[in-house]
Amino acid sequence: MAINTNLYFKELKRYRNFFLAWSISISVLIVMELAFYNIFMKEDMVKQMTTFFENPFMKNLIAAFGMSLDVITNALGYYAARNAIYIVLLGTFFSILLAGKILAREEHEKTAEFLLTKPVTRLEIVWSKLAAFFTYLLLLSVMILLAGSIGLEIFKGESVYRLSAFFVHSFYFFLLILTFGAIGLFLSLLIKRGRPITNISIGIVFGGYLIDVLSKATQSASKFGYISPFKFVDSGVLRPDYGLEWWRVLYFLGISLVLITLTFVIYKKKDILI
Amino acid sequence: MYVIETQGLTKFYGKDRGIIDLDLKIESGEIFGFIGPNGAGKSTTIRTLLGLIFPTSGNGRIFGMDIVRETKEIKKQIGYMPSEVNYYEKMDGQELLRYSANFYGKDCESRINELADIFALDLNRKIIDLSRGNRKKVSILQCLIHRPRLLILDEPTTGLDPLMQAKFFDILREENSRDTTIFFSSHTLSEVQKMCRRVGIIKEGKIIAVEDIETLRKKQLRKVQVEFAHPVKSGEIECIGVIASQADENNLHFMFSGKMGDLLNNLAGKDIKDLIIEEPTLEEIFMHYYSEEKEHNKKDRRWR
Repeated sequence: MAINTNLYFKELKRYRNFFLAWSISISVLIVMELAFYNIFMKEDMVKQMTTFFENPFMKNLIAAFGMSLDVITNALGYYAARNAIYIVLLGTFFSILLAGKILAREEHEKTAEFLLTKPVTRLEIVWSKLAAFFTYLLLLSVMILLAGSIGLEIFKGESVYRLSAFFVHSFYFFLLILTFGAIGLFLSLLIKRGRPITNISIGIVFGGYLIDVLSKATQSASKFGYISPFKFVDSGVLRPDYGLEWWRVLYFLGISLVLITLTFVIYKKKDILI
Repeated sequence: MYVIETQGLTKFYGKDRGIIDLDLKIESGEIFGFIGPNGAGKSTTIRTLLGLIFPTSGNGRIFGMDIVRETKEIKKQIGYMPSEVNYYEKMDGQELLRYSANFYGKDCESRINELADIFALDLNRKIIDLSRGNRKKVSILQCLIHRPRLLILDEPTTGLDPLMQAKFFDILREENSRDTTIFFSSHTLSEVQKMCRRVGIIKEGKIIAVEDIETLRKKQLRKVQVEFAHPVKSGEIECIGVIASQADENNLHFMFSGKMGDLLNNLAGKDIKDLIIEEPTLEEIFMHYYSEEKEHNKKDRRWR
């Protein structure tokens, strides 16, 4: 592992605004969501809607989004459920888009001709860019962790939950965006001349998300859901036995490791066409 | 030891030809012109040497190091100027040049400022706001600031005005006098003529000749223009050595590589108003080479 610091810091600078825009939006959304939870509970809106929620159709529908009445009336349960819709989707977009362009953009914008004629090996280029990507992924995760824990602390009301469950859930989230990043990085290398993969990325994220939702809504499709990485995030934060499950962790790390390794192998031998 | 040496260097893009069986030997301290029409394989050669693309077969060495395995070491000693400048558009000139210099771990500030003055380049403007010519200047600085021992220039003068071209050539001569080897690719022969001692001619992916500029000039090829008192046909003069004869009303243009005495004897009895015999430009010499090679190919012979 050899990181070229000149390249690493330049990459951080290049994507700083991209990172700030996404991470601040996501953090603000998290706090807003939790503030909304607070209002939602105070106004007793939930109690008025009990009969509505007990309708079997509605029950299944909200189950698809990982919710039930018990869950969404708890601050952490609410956070995890709403989180899945907004924060997780936005986080995965951030990750897949950043990883999808951090390497390929040099080729697409033809700056690879500059970079690859400097005294730096291809492996150093991938390492340095990966390091910049990881840095922002970690920073985003830390910001979400902070926004989530502060938001929960302020707006939790009378909810009872384990803080460790929040951390476990956040760790799953980190693994999820890491995996989507690895997918983005790998896919971007397969496209000739590094053309942007924005459309494919959006398709993959929405597709994966929809598969997960559908598999939760219908019994017959529940196994089918495992082709989507979203399925491997355990959102059952209120279960007493909720914790890290190694097979889930291995799934995310395994996919990421394989795709990142393939990225190194391909990039080392790839003809860079300008 | 040669600065650049390739043996059977071949590159195919899938089925498409890039370069075939390229043998090049470039000595230390020389200015080597690499000439050929668009699509002949000039850029492919350069990109293979620089490790942007990988050879299909054959091998190459720069400063004795393998172009595939030791590319990082090689690049420490190289300055490369691309034919089309594509830099990070949001950076300004200063930032780009510092970024570039940092890769070599050298402090190049004084050299950057010195060269920026020579080329009258404003380093505070963003790349995206620069004209093509100014981007080209940034690219000149980029390839020179770290004092490389080998300069690889891919059609370096496109987009530069004649004044800047002259300044650029002065700098190149100065670099060359400090024993910097220069590999200069171009499709305009006249500019190579000014700079280079030797030239390699590449056509359809193959080197068809490597010659000293002087030898080329001394090939005794002459450009002849005869003005007759009457309209003429292209076959007006029948003499060994007349090539590519073309008639234009009263005028006859052709290249001549035979004995001058024969030509003059042949012309002696004709009604001639004017006769111009001059040294052809390298351009014309090469055009002649190309057509000659075509002829030989038809006869299934290889010309070298």
